[in-house]
Amino acid sequence: MKRNKFIVIGSGRLGANIATKMSEVGEDVIIIDAKDDSFRKLQESFSGYEMVGDATDLQLLENAYIKHAKTVVITTDSDNVNIYLAHICYYVYNVPKIFVRLSDTDKGRLLEGTYIKAIYPFLLSLNEFMTLNEEEEDV
Amino acid sequence: MKIVITGGKHEADFIVKALKEEHHHLIVINQDREFAEYISSHNDVAVFPGDPTKAYTLSDSEAHNADVLIALSDNDTDNYITCITAKRLFNIKKTVSKVRNPKNVELFKKLGIDSVISSTYLLAQTILNESSVENIIKTLSIEDEKIVMLEIGVEEDFHLVNKRIMDIQFPKNINISCIFRDPHVIIPKGDTVIRAEDKLIIISTPNEQDEIIEYIQKKR
Repeated sequence: MKRNKFIVIGSGRLGANIATKMSEVGEDVIIIDAKDDSFRKLQESFSGYEMVGDATDLQLLENAYIKHAKTVVITTDSDNVNIYLAHICYYVYNVPKIFVRLSDTDKGRLLEGTYIKAIYPFLLSLNEFMTLNEEEEDV
Repeated sequence: MKIVITGGKHEADFIVKALKEEHHHLIVINQDREFAEYISSHNDVAVFPGDPTKAYTLSDSEAHNADVLIALSDNDTDNYITCITAKRLFNIKKTVSKVRNPKNVELFKKLGIDSVISSTYLLAQTILNESSVENIIKTLSIEDEKIVMLEIGVEEDFHLVNKRIMDIQFPKNINISCIFRDPHVIIPKGDTVIRAEDKLIIISTPNEQDEIIEYIQKKR
């Protein structure tokens, strides 16, 4: 079985931009969102496939070639849904690379013992603030 | 036993009541403030208002090391997160989740939830059980399972083939109400002869059911 699909779940600003960028570098991208109009955030250069539906439905995931996914990026606006989907991708479909965006750093503990990688906008912003603040003080 | 019950409305109320009578140590968590108060005053237990998918809620309510957690919210994903958080971070031994989508029963079990309940799934299982393992027997319960109706297909090598009903020593509590002999429907009398390929419609009681099936399927 060839794993060559790059799947993005959740077409918010982050998801849509990741999908666009990966599509630009030649990845075979499939983006899933519950709402049709979310795909407006995709840039014109996006040449992947859009799917409307509930990603917690396994049938939909399978229709989106989850079994052929080499990477899944999960960026819906609910941490609970994101963890749940990450667990499904990990335990049921053994997707080799899984990234998940989480607002609540506490929830990251549910990923312990897996290779699922979490992205915390909160931590990134905090670090950015600390860096910017130091730069100001250096002047 | 220390039991945590999260979410749910009337099912939570019902389970809290039943478990309280058994004198279990109950921790009840409900996000819906109004319903939390209702359960609390109705059953004389403390209810923690809060989101059970958050680790701090389970921590504040001292759910650590509980024997069982039962997740009853209407959101399958939330129930999953509650159960997994309970298991991995709070050392809760057994987790039970309600699911709305019957397809999630198998999935949740695969993901590590100990027990998954779906009313639709249970209903389907009951129907499947009642229509039995072998397709030659179908049963239907009537009057709160006090009466069962069995449908048994007669095969060539059964001992009662070509015998008159009056000559067969049936077990007690049996009534062959009807014989379906395609395309005819026969209301049997004592001198009716049973033939291969007949379908016997039998009224009986659940206790005698197995004995009757065994008797009828006895080979020559």
